Amino acid sequence: MAYSEKVIEHYTNPRNVGSFAKGEDNVGTGVVGAPECGDVMKLQLKINPENGVIEDAKFKTFGCGSAIASSSYVTELVKGKHIEEAMTIKNTVIVKELNLPPVKIHCSVLAEDAIKAAITDWKSHQTPASAQEPRKAQES
Amino acid sequence: MIKCQACDREQQPRLLCAQCGAPLGAGLDLFAALGLPRKLTIDPARLEQTYHDLGRRIHPDRFASKSVRLRDASLRATALLTRAYRTLRDPVSRGLYWLELNGHKLADNNKSVPADLAEMVFEVQEQLADLRVARDGSGGEAERLRGAVDERRTELHRMIEGGSRELVQNFARWDAHGGANGAGRDALVMELKLVLSKIAYLRTLIRDIDRELDSAQAA
Repeated sequence: MAYSEKVIEHYTNPRNVGSFAKGEDNVGTGVVGAPECGDVMKLQLKINPENGVIEDAKFKTFGCGSAIASSSYVTELVKGKHIEEAMTIKNTVIVKELNLPPVKIHCSVLAEDAIKAAITDWKSHQTPASAQEPRKAQES
Repeated sequence: MIKCQACDREQQPRLLCAQCGAPLGAGLDLFAALGLPRKLTIDPARLEQTYHDLGRRIHPDRFASKSVRLRDASLRATALLTRAYRTLRDPVSRGLYWLELNGHKLADNNKSVPADLAEMVFEVQEQLADLRVARDGSGGEAERLRGAVDERRTELHRMIEGGSRELVQNFARWDAHGGANGAGRDALVMELKLVLSKIAYLRTLIRDIDRELDSAQAA
């Protein structure tokens, strides 16, 4: 099976690799894994609390080329979007953009899940009660 | 129906001929090969005993002077019996086989793992990545990381053992309700799949660790 040109492009030149500083208030983190292939993906979104717009995104993925390309593409896709709009992003958009073959569709599902997980995480520490507590204490 | 090569008796597929005890064994699933019901719960002592008992009766040595067809049947039945024993002895491979036999795929509706598990796997993968970098540099840091990853591996093996125990503890309950149709049954299959895929995910991670530690040693 050959990777599509777009997958190779993202794989060799991934966008927005890395992570934001831990415990930053405006950052939501989603870590998701696929049991099928052992891939694991971390997506972080920096979200403006005033207007709910995703201002920046970073990812780190351990997995195959398609998983890396899917998460790389997603960081570009969500930037500038409102979180409610980002929540509606479907994996099919990723499949289409990257020309993923059927056996790699689960990589795009993983990326979609990562967006939702990151936004949900961000929301969970935006509530007034938890915003006053340091985030670290909540996690442990 | 299959026909015994020794006495010509027609019968339902089984490992030994009901009439003369010659090996048959064609077209059997692994539970049937051991004469067991298709259930997740298996008594290990009974499994051992059945395996050894059947193994003795179909052993190729007993058919060394018999016809080619019978010798062949003995070999095939022995191979099947061994595969059945090895697959069903381990709760994880038994669970996976049971799913397959019942037409379920592990990955169907089961594309993600719990967040805490994903986070743990991510941490270990980062350690492995650090180790890969450190290996090219000076020795001390690589040694420390190798030790840390090795500890993780022990912990992961323990988690898998825990998962295996969880399976065994739940097998009876799953068996008891497995006959029901509809949503209840689907929920039980899902429970089984979640435990099995967690174990599969951990095994993949251990394989990555093994590969890294081995190549670290070779370097």
